[in-house]
Amino acid sequence: MTPPNLRVHGLTKSFGGVTALAGVDLTVPAGQVHALLGHNGAGKSTLIKCLGGAFPPDSGTIEIGGTPYARLTPRESIAAGVAIIYQTLSVVDALTVAENIFLGQEWTRYGRIDRGAQEEAAAGLLKRVAATCSPRDRVGDLPTGQRQLVEIAKALSRSASVLVLDEPTAALSGAESDALARRVEDLRTEGLAIVYVTHLLSEVERLADAVTVMRDGRVTHQSSVTGLSRGELVTAIAGRPHEQTVRPAPNSARQATAPRLVVEGLHGPGFGPVDLSVGEGERVGLFGLIGSGRTRLLETLFGRRRSTGGTVRLGERAVAPARPAQALAAGIALVPADRRAQALFPPLTAQDNVLLPSMRPLARGGLRALGTERRVFGALADAVGLRPALPGLPAGAFSGGNQQKLVLGRWINTARQVQVLLLDEPTQGVDVGARHEIYRVVTGLAEERGTAVLFASSDPEEIVALADRCLIVAGGRVVGELSGASLTEQALLSAVHDRAVSGTAVHDRAASGTGGTADVAPDQHADPGADNDPGPLAPPAEGAA
Amino acid sequence: MTTADTALFRPRALATGGLAAVRRHPLILVLAAMVLVFQVSTGSFLAPANLSGIATDAAALAVVAVPLALLVISGYLDLSVGSTLALGGLVAGRLANEGQSPAVAVLGALAVGAAVGAVNGVLCCYLGLSPFIVTLGMLTAVRGLDQQLFPLPLSGFGSGFAWLGGATIAGIAAPVVIAALVLVAGALFLAFAPGGRHVFAIGVNREAAHLSGINIRRTPFLLFVATGVAAALAGAVKASVLDSVVAGTSGAGFELTVLTAVLIGGVALTGGSGSILGVLLGVLFLGGLQNGLTLLNVPTFWQQMAQGTALVAGAALAYLAPRTGR
Repeated sequence: MTPPNLRVHGLTKSFGGVTALAGVDLTVPAGQVHALLGHNGAGKSTLIKCLGGAFPPDSGTIEIGGTPYARLTPRESIAAGVAIIYQTLSVVDALTVAENIFLGQEWTRYGRIDRGAQEEAAAGLLKRVAATCSPRDRVGDLPTGQRQLVEIAKALSRSASVLVLDEPTAALSGAESDALARRVEDLRTEGLAIVYVTHLLSEVERLADAVTVMRDGRVTHQSSVTGLSRGELVTAIAGRPHEQTVRPAPNSARQATAPRLVVEGLHGPGFGPVDLSVGEGERVGLFGLIGSGRTRLLETLFGRRRSTGGTVRLGERAVAPARPAQALAAGIALVPADRRAQALFPPLTAQDNVLLPSMRPLARGGLRALGTERRVFGALADAVGLRPALPGLPAGAFSGGNQQKLVLGRWINTARQVQVLLLDEPTQGVDVGARHEIYRVVTGLAEERGTAVLFASSDPEEIVALADRCLIVAGGRVVGELSGASLTEQALLSAVHDRAVSGTAVHDRAASGTGGTADVAPDQHADPGADNDPGPLAPPAEGAA
Repeated sequence: MTTADTALFRPRALATGGLAAVRRHPLILVLAAMVLVFQVSTGSFLAPANLSGIATDAAALAVVAVPLALLVISGYLDLSVGSTLALGGLVAGRLANEGQSPAVAVLGALAVGAAVGAVNGVLCCYLGLSPFIVTLGMLTAVRGLDQQLFPLPLSGFGSGFAWLGGATIAGIAAPVVIAALVLVAGALFLAFAPGGRHVFAIGVNREAAHLSGINIRRTPFLLFVATGVAAALAGAVKASVLDSVVAGTSGAGFELTVLTAVLIGGVALTGGSGSILGVLLGVLFLGGLQNGLTLLNVPTFWQQMAQGTALVAGAALAYLAPRTGR
């Protein structure tokens, strides 16, 4: 009997007293897609970095195609047939597709790179992964999905037998994700052993043959996917029974009271005109595909981008922030989508990460109020359930979920008075457990402090769990609204996917779909015609008639 | 890396802080070894007169190294300080020659330094030009300006102006007192002023700092101005100590020496990390190295080789040291 492509046995690894892997076993035979699940910080990243040779394990063996290794260098790992596609792709933007695929293993002829042969071979590999790009395209010009396929093609060119995909769909659009799923199925058929790291249970259900769940560096669940329920998986990941994502009663009373954020005819590059309003203590979701303009809308409200027209009012006061600092002064805060690039200061301490923008307001006589800072941080750490609650630990050492709590905590601590909280993909790269804590914190903020929450998400489950009301966004415009009992995952998905397929022409259908639900609250706030707007091109005034 | 300065000012933490400081700044051990070697080989390295000589020489370095370190931590760089130093010395010297009071002479130098720093700051922070290119250009341009405005060497500044470089305050040379004040101010700023944390934040992640409402232009702009002011102040002090300034040569190469001290002191050229304690160690190390080698009659070019090797060796050690954390 042939040995499995990958067998990991008793792998341990610790970092200065912190155990990252505590005896992990994992076997992936040829032709299997093996999902690897677990919280951020559960040890998945450490495991795949040991496979890729980035870290030497402390003990245990990694067996690839029957050959055991106590440790691997990155070069040995590649030679042994392991290919790892990390979340942050390692393609070189300035080179062509073919040059990227053969980077480090160039085909030469008389000492010169044989471009023709490379491009021909690259074309074959690209066809195998069904990439639509050409071998001569510059990788920097390609969308993320194509770049990822280039990396997979590169792995195939090295005749990899073990393919590790680290949250491959995190940065992909819905259509790109579907395409990737089909490629993964093809590669399984070709006999690769595939380790698929993901947070999305739907991907496990669709793609995986077997699943391993890790928690605190240990394997807590390992089985085939057949016959496994979603509840069992969530329990294994969270380490406790699944909290049902029961929607709280929609906050229509709040909506009726006072609109806190009112946006009228706002437009800017890539979106608009947009009309919307968020009541005091109301949580409004913006649901749409990546590229639908949600992020641009939020960034414009926050002053990171300039609007080209329209008005934004906070209560009665008109605001037009030209910089984030001005938005913050007015009481509008944003938690951006890309935590690493836009929000986190990894080497700075947890406390600094939370309190950086509040140090100046808290300071007395130009000096930081260190005691107050510590108290504010302590209270926040309790409120959001930060783990570990160590003020001096660098933010980069926390798990993704806890990093997100730090970033969220920047605006919701007791030193700040935020009127409007904008969240862009609030739980991207956040594990299931922390996700529910973040929902709880945001919900509590809206209910107790009356903060108006406007958040964008491409995860229907998240919209249903967090929103009182949801606006459907496509092509930079609000094209529909769901609330009450009509706000379901199915309704969201059909609203967006219908739209993605047929473009803006289906607007009437979507509008009748939303308007037709009996429980959509009639428009009671100062937002003329947002619900009954006959079409996105019609000026708002007409809808009010 | 970023809490070292805070720990320095909490007496309770001093004992454990000492050990932590050694771990954070292995340069302390290198410095100690160097002192030992020089003392054994020269017999006079630790003599009070020599130590005070080292301190006075290192003072100008320290005055500029502190704001420069803050600038580098925030992700910027200033290569123009050598020429600004000369300009500061020339302006102060000319004012002293014209019979102005030492205070006016120094203030004149500081104003000119602030102007050079402001030009750097506007170009780099508000117009977004590359600090490397801008300040490299300014290094040459200001040197040209120095020579255009002051074609002849200046000297004979008078006893009033000589006070700046020659006086002792409680037995300590005035330049050393000035350097100590600058070092303490820098450390206090990093630890206790909100702007100190902003410096780190901007250096670590500019975009995140911007989205956190931190003014990512004004803080580094002010640091450019501070660096220009400090360079001019160092120039005035040097002019006073030497009682001479020459437009073509004063402070030539100073910009690289001070940057070397900052980098040996553990400030990351990529921004986001560094400490004033490290800068002090870097300055003492370079100053001590130069002095010890001079005592040993090592020729100047060997000294330069030693200085350069120390920088590269320091970088190599930092690279080879085991990294912690995931």
